[in-house]
Amino acid sequence: MGEFLKFDNALWQRVVSLLEYDAASPLTLTTGFFLFAFLVFGVGYLMVRGRAHLRTLYVVLFSLYFYYKLSGLYLLLLLFVALSDYLIGRRVYCIKQRGGSGGGWVALSVVINVAILVYFKATNFFVDLVNGLYAEGTLDWESVVVPAGVSFFVFQSIAYVVDIKRGVIEPLRRFSSYLFLLSFFPKMFLGPLVKAKEFIPQIEAAKATVTREDFGRAVALIAGGMIKYAVIAKAIGALFVAPAFAGKLGDGGFVALMAIYGFTLQIYCDFSGYSDIAQGVALMLGFRLPDNFDAPYHSATITEFWRRWHISLSTWLKDYLYISLGGNRCGSVRTYLNLILTMLLGGLWHGVGMTFIAWGLLHGVALALHKVWLKVVPGAKSVGAQMGVVCRVVATLVTFHIVAFGWLLFTADDMTVVGDMLSRIAYNFSFEDVALVVEGSAVAFVIMGVGYLLHAMPRRWDEALRRGVVKVGVVGQWLIMVAAIWLVMECGMLLAAETGAGGGLPMYAAF
Amino acid sequence: MKNRDSAPRIVWFTLAVIVGVVGLGFVPQFSLFGMTIERVDILSELRDGAADELVEYEADIERLEQELAAMSVVEEVVVEQDTLPELPPVRYEWVAGEVEPLEVRPLSSEALRGALSDAVVHIEDFDTLATTRLEQFYDKLASGESVRIAFMGDSFVEGDILTSDLRAELQGLFGGRGVGFVACDIPFATVRKTVKRTSSAWSAYSVMKPKSVPQDMADKFFVSGYLAKGGVGATTRWQTTDAFPTLDSCTRARVLLYSRDTSVVELMLNDSIPHSVEVAADERLREIYVEAENIASLRVKVAKGNILCYGVSLESEGGVAVDNFSVRSNNGHAIFGTGAAINRQAHDMLGYDLVVLQYGLNIMQKGQRGYSNYRTQLCNMIAYAERCFPGAAILVMGVSDRWVRSDESGSYVPIGSVDALTSYQRAAADSTKVAFWNTSQAMAALGGMPAFVANGWAANDYTHINFKGGRKVAEAMVAAIVEPVYDILVQREEESARLDAMRRAKALEAERRLDAQMKMVMSVADTLFAVEESGDEVMEDSAEELSEVVSDNGEE
Repeated sequence: MGEFLKFDNALWQRVVSLLEYDAASPLTLTTGFFLFAFLVFGVGYLMVRGRAHLRTLYVVLFSLYFYYKLSGLYLLLLLFVALSDYLIGRRVYCIKQRGGSGGGWVALSVVINVAILVYFKATNFFVDLVNGLYAEGTLDWESVVVPAGVSFFVFQSIAYVVDIKRGVIEPLRRFSSYLFLLSFFPKMFLGPLVKAKEFIPQIEAAKATVTREDFGRAVALIAGGMIKYAVIAKAIGALFVAPAFAGKLGDGGFVALMAIYGFTLQIYCDFSGYSDIAQGVALMLGFRLPDNFDAPYHSATITEFWRRWHISLSTWLKDYLYISLGGNRCGSVRTYLNLILTMLLGGLWHGVGMTFIAWGLLHGVALALHKVWLKVVPGAKSVGAQMGVVCRVVATLVTFHIVAFGWLLFTADDMTVVGDMLSRIAYNFSFEDVALVVEGSAVAFVIMGVGYLLHAMPRRWDEALRRGVVKVGVVGQWLIMVAAIWLVMECGMLLAAETGAGGGLPMYAAF
Repeated sequence: MKNRDSAPRIVWFTLAVIVGVVGLGFVPQFSLFGMTIERVDILSELRDGAADELVEYEADIERLEQELAAMSVVEEVVVEQDTLPELPPVRYEWVAGEVEPLEVRPLSSEALRGALSDAVVHIEDFDTLATTRLEQFYDKLASGESVRIAFMGDSFVEGDILTSDLRAELQGLFGGRGVGFVACDIPFATVRKTVKRTSSAWSAYSVMKPKSVPQDMADKFFVSGYLAKGGVGATTRWQTTDAFPTLDSCTRARVLLYSRDTSVVELMLNDSIPHSVEVAADERLREIYVEAENIASLRVKVAKGNILCYGVSLESEGGVAVDNFSVRSNNGHAIFGTGAAINRQAHDMLGYDLVVLQYGLNIMQKGQRGYSNYRTQLCNMIAYAERCFPGAAILVMGVSDRWVRSDESGSYVPIGSVDALTSYQRAAADSTKVAFWNTSQAMAALGGMPAFVANGWAANDYTHINFKGGRKVAEAMVAAIVEPVYDILVQREEESARLDAMRRAKALEAERRLDAQMKMVMSVADTLFAVEESGDEVMEDSAEELSEVVSDNGEE
């Protein structure tokens, strides 16, 4: 025991160095560092939570520090975006009060934000493109490092200005409140994007209250999210998907197909797990973030899928891109085009490249086709709940496969990988492989099976589980949380030992 | 009640969770359903990683010493064997078909020129022997003798990545057929393009999971890392593939096994020719040696008793054999878990000329800071390998290039510790007087990891190369091996050309002298005839001259 608690003299140096930004270990909600930081933060938070202004300042300061630990000096970019849109928002509001439109200022805000996004997202792509077309070194440009969560705070900021222009909200009076909206640490990194109209009242509320039920639900969200994100997603990725894509498991069609199914579960567990944690942490502080996922693979149509997958982004795309393009108000052809264009831009938002263009097109065209289908096929339904059982099962399977093969486009490095995987499935599929592959990656298949089984559970079971966590009381919640953390750490060590894979960031951190 | 404010919980609940998780750190490592549950340590970032490393390293050293002690006992047994001729044989031969004797084809430097590279990264040889072990290896290659390479590595070479191309290239240049060593059964499925294996009814064990291994098998591991225990009915069938031109068939199959009791093993060659071997009880490693003109598949089935089966070596007379001994997530330390005596006996049977140690990728990934302990550990691995494979050259492969995401951005940067670890590995090779090859430098010459990823030679984790990348590294490695062999051949060819020239010059000289003598004889004869006409005086002089010439000629 004495051995275990023995630290060497350099302990304090190490503590200090841990507090500094380290590009190799950025801060996320699942690091041990966050657990300790949250304790320290919590003590102060209890003292200030009853005073709106002080609370806002306190949370903003911690959020900014959190961002610094995550992304270093890009903190200044976050501050710049916040300041510019805070001022533009006020300006637009003044002009509107005087009867003007303020459109020019909104355009300026959009241009600034989109320019930031394009610079960080597309520079590397164009430099590579030019150097590929001409000669290496034609453009001598250090690769651009994308700031963490840049797409999230830029989108949040555009929405704020547009909402003011549309008269949905009034501008915030204090700059600190606006910083809070933009940088609230649970959601800053990977969302969910919040609707200003719903979130601002929470910032301005007199007291941040947390009920017993809130607390229990928060524990359920965090523990469940950690298991989804750091156990299921990480294990499937390291044990099966990554080696399968790298060709380590042979070139059989069965492996390729399973890799696609595996990735489909992996990306859901990774992203929704992290979203759940964010929601849970916010809830512990008395803030309600919107749901970002609603059992997306239960969807029976592609339209339904986009109402259940990354809800805050698809809502954003609908509100600020699709509607701005004219939505469905300009005739059916324009509606389809707008849908396709929206999804295409949504695809490009994830990254500039052929695979993302193809992915966006696939979803845009599928959405448009589904709209046509609803129009021409009598009795066609837009969501699964309205369908008969057989119809629903078939439709769910079809939708699942469109989405799953869409993920192949999404995750592949380039189109040759896509072609390669598809041709393996089409021409090199052998049932003889099945037993061998399943036996070889038994653990991964068990986890995948459990993951899909959990996902297939009816939503009310999920709800019942959360209510159960609320009911077991605080000691039970403590046991659940400690067990979840232990599982995550154990899994991390096992994976590191088994495959050499490190902890890493959420997949969506790249977008 | 329900709506009572629970905000204070965020502090004391978090505190309780921290206490709970720190408390978990006191739970020692334990085993559950055969899985090792490690101790968790949330404070690890505050701790000095080097201290833990040292503990691990000391444990390894302890094991090494035990192993070496155990080995000397076995060596004594081997000595006794000479005085006890009734011991059962080590090798059971089955000649299923006549194999045409190998025709030794003379190797020319010209044939190797294609494998040379201008950008070659040379193997650094720190050996201090007059003729280093690596030079002996080159010499054997240059002389067309058969050589055998043990390629020990981690998941980097799993599935025969790199080694399949190394083997194919070397066999193409120096001859030889067959995929080399293939395990009998492995506790998880792997796919190798270079050989097909189907096994059933074995209990397979891995040297990486020592706790799951029965006590009486613990010291029986070979460096292959996997061991299959099988009773009646346990079956494995190996089948060659045509993934590379030299693999579709071979002429020898050698099944390595261990049988404490008398066992009967049924063989089936090419799915058509059966044969049965009774293996007498013995405490040594044995082999069943099969020879046939064309071996395309071999099945072994335990018909009586039970055996520990290591695997088969598919090979041919002469040429190069490359054995891929990849053990997933092995940092090299697994060698301490293999039986020194078994390794030594296998070496006596198979005869390794070169042992390659390819490790380090996992060490680097764990983010350990101090590599000096790793160097010490590596030195011990090398010492262990030298004890197990006496006489073989040992080549430490430097860690491969690896890039990591600098942060959330998706842009990759060199991991930085590659050079540090490489220099420690080189230092280990230097201090133990073995050879070293700088893998990351060879990869850098090909454009480094970004070029590997861009060309589809490596996975997009910027860590693991794939088969295409393996081929590139193998080509670079072959270039490094071939160059000294090429130099030897060029030197030999120059030498023999020089000797030829000398011989030719001598022959010419002899001819010239013969001509001259003939001329002289002719002239003497002429003179003699002339004397017949003119007088005796001249004739006597000429006769003297003639006898001188003749005696000169006789000495020639």
